[in-house]
Amino acid sequence: MASIIAAEGPTIRISGAGSSPDLLSVAADADVRAVEVGSTGVPALEPLVTVTDGDETAFHTACSTAEMDTIVASVAAGSDVRAAEPDAVAEHDPDTARFPAVDLSGLGGDRRRMLGGAGWRRPTNPADHEAAGGFGDPGPDAVLAAGEAIHGRGWGDICQDTPLTPTWETVRDTGGDPAVVVNGHGNPADALLLASAPYDVLDGATAVADCVGAEAVIVYASTADERAVETVREAAAEHPEGSPAIDVVAGPAEYRAAEPTMALEAVEGNHRLEARIRPPGPESVGLHGQPTVLHTPRTLAQLSASLRDGDADATRAVTVQGDVAAPVTVELAASATLADAVDAVAVDGEFKAACVGGRFGGLTRDLDVSIAPEPLTDADLGTEGTVQILAADRCVLEFVGKRAQFAADENCGRCVPCREGTTQLAELLRDIYDGSYAPEDIEELVRVMDTSSICAFGVEAGRPARTALAEFEAELQAHADGTCPTDSCPETVEVT
Amino acid sequence: MSSDHAHEDAPPLTEDIAPGTAADPAVGGPDRATVTVDGVEVTVAAGSTLLDAVEAVDTADSVPALCSYDRQEIGPRSECRTCMVETEADGIVPACSHPAEDGMAVSTDAEAAAEARDVNLDLVLSNHNLRCTTCGKNGRCELQDAAIDEEVEEPRYGVLDDREEYEPLDDTSSFIQIDRNKCILCNRCVDACNDVQVEGVLRMEGSGQDTRIGFQSDAETMEDSTCVSCGHCATVCPTGSLVEKGIEDATTIPLPGFTQKNSIGKSVESSGRSKGPMTPKKRDADRCESGDPSANGSTPNAPAAEDVADDGWAGFEGGEWP
Repeated sequence: MASIIAAEGPTIRISGAGSSPDLLSVAADADVRAVEVGSTGVPALEPLVTVTDGDETAFHTACSTAEMDTIVASVAAGSDVRAAEPDAVAEHDPDTARFPAVDLSGLGGDRRRMLGGAGWRRPTNPADHEAAGGFGDPGPDAVLAAGEAIHGRGWGDICQDTPLTPTWETVRDTGGDPAVVVNGHGNPADALLLASAPYDVLDGATAVADCVGAEAVIVYASTADERAVETVREAAAEHPEGSPAIDVVAGPAEYRAAEPTMALEAVEGNHRLEARIRPPGPESVGLHGQPTVLHTPRTLAQLSASLRDGDADATRAVTVQGDVAAPVTVELAASATLADAVDAVAVDGEFKAACVGGRFGGLTRDLDVSIAPEPLTDADLGTEGTVQILAADRCVLEFVGKRAQFAADENCGRCVPCREGTTQLAELLRDIYDGSYAPEDIEELVRVMDTSSICAFGVEAGRPARTALAEFEAELQAHADGTCPTDSCPETVEVT
Repeated sequence: MSSDHAHEDAPPLTEDIAPGTAADPAVGGPDRATVTVDGVEVTVAAGSTLLDAVEAVDTADSVPALCSYDRQEIGPRSECRTCMVETEADGIVPACSHPAEDGMAVSTDAEAAAEARDVNLDLVLSNHNLRCTTCGKNGRCELQDAAIDEEVEEPRYGVLDDREEYEPLDDTSSFIQIDRNKCILCNRCVDACNDVQVEGVLRMEGSGQDTRIGFQSDAETMEDSTCVSCGHCATVCPTGSLVEKGIEDATTIPLPGFTQKNSIGKSVESSGRSKGPMTPKKRDADRCESGDPSANGSTPNAPAAEDVADDGWAGFEGGEWP
């Protein structure tokens, strides 16, 4: 199949799941070249129809079939891409293999290097990926060099916030029959990469596999992310190289199933998921007892971008959700701030706070924090790559109480500080409604969960409560005194 | 040696065993190691954990290591986290499962480690039926010993004491009584049943607060399980959760009419079906009736899932949730 990149004549791209078949059939009826591409990560703009002719692309957001009729008619008539009244137009290199920078909310800037293929290349088309410089053969030395500068992304990565190369060296030196696992479970940016740009992820995975001598790459994702699972499975089947073998495994749609050792348990087929003891970690004793590299798609897409462009560790994917009109996943320079990420969404109401860094992220009012791991950690925020917005009418106590209850309900049940600690944490937070606010007790419990839980689930489960204590002391105290400042708690108890 | 007994082609006995626990790596340091514990040098054999070193010296603070058994093929589960110690190299770690490596320095009285042991012991107690006076293990209970040693007078999170919250006592077996309200999920019984006796009866099931000891045959009660009444589970149980029948009230304080059974409220009684001295032999109880026993791709420690169906993952086969 031929590549759509730098094709002669106009090309229409339809981005985003759902209404694509209807829009595609409009183009097919008129015999105009139109292709379906993956989501850009900004579903609010989708279906996003782009018309590219030479060095110009026109963007039609939230495109209806009626608009599609107009666009197709305009293309069929050989008109300028601007003729069909697009929402925006961008000029670019006519051979660009990446989504062009355009002044649309969530798609601005020129930093889409990792997500550049998303919404621009056909996800499962090897020719598109090859035209974008993919399927390279970097060799182990280049891979090891690139991994020095790249830090793992996400709580599902065994190199969370640490450089990749030392782990690869451990895997290589351990010997045996190493494996590479791509852990695409649970994070929206990871699911987006698998669904919209799977070859960028697989390029990174096969490069690591060659580097550590692994003959198998296993892609693991949640059954809930059907599109990601289906797309990466199709991409693996179309992968031009036979070696290493790529297998796709879907795991249960439980939050804890993203934890690296629970991911291995799921891939191995255990019927019950619980975290494994460490040390030794998966890099020494992993999948079926063999040394295993386990990275998230974000980490691997960074690696493949770095191997292609030599521009290491330069961007981070951030998903902004919560009290917003529509969630978005944006790619930003590591020097960008949380405020830059929040700028990509329309906040539903007045901004109050953000829970930064995943389900068990930290709460902050201050968005002037860089999205790089170190500043986030210093601010007691998480690095998972999500920012959940809390609008003004959102009660912080209710929010952190729900997070604690979620942790109590969803933990694997293995270790006491997590299993019993989350339960007691939810109780201590509930007690605030009864007038008993004991910040020292909460701090002590959260500290012990942090220092003694087996895995990151228990280590991080207390962070929402801990940061709420630091940042929203008055609001918690008010509940103990019988009032909810946001007046949103269903039942505030009169305290005498 | 008769060649009749050599079954080279026979699958290992553990093939169908599904204990519901993670396939943990082997713990313990690779080599003989000299470790400093609270300033005292101690040398431990290859394969040792920090707990071996801690137990070899008179430590500054006591380290309960409540769930640790570390004999036979049982543990470490490293679940209760009442063995946390501070190391120079790795910070606060669980001694029972952290490998002892040459040159490590451990302190038991570091403030954060002591706090973690203390809080975790109280967390264990928070979910424990503390009616010791009606417990058949009163006076020979490791949790009781730990609580006494640590001078726990009033556990900070309280104890399980609401009769509505108690799980019914499983009094169905003629040989072993189960009181899950006293279970600390140390997993010793599961290891004893699967790894030592190779019976494959018990398993860990559920998650979060619903985590419990159950049966691999999906049986609801001990009587209906494939238990052969070997008693090893009761032998290794650190609390009064698994107790031999006949001595379940052996050490209760003799208040008239107040017993282990009625202290809880509800119990599941034997069906009264006569079954002879043992529950049905495992091979007679068709364990594989619900699935094809050959379809799986798992390791010995993460075995086949075809005859278990908890967590709503029914029908799942070998690493794939379709």
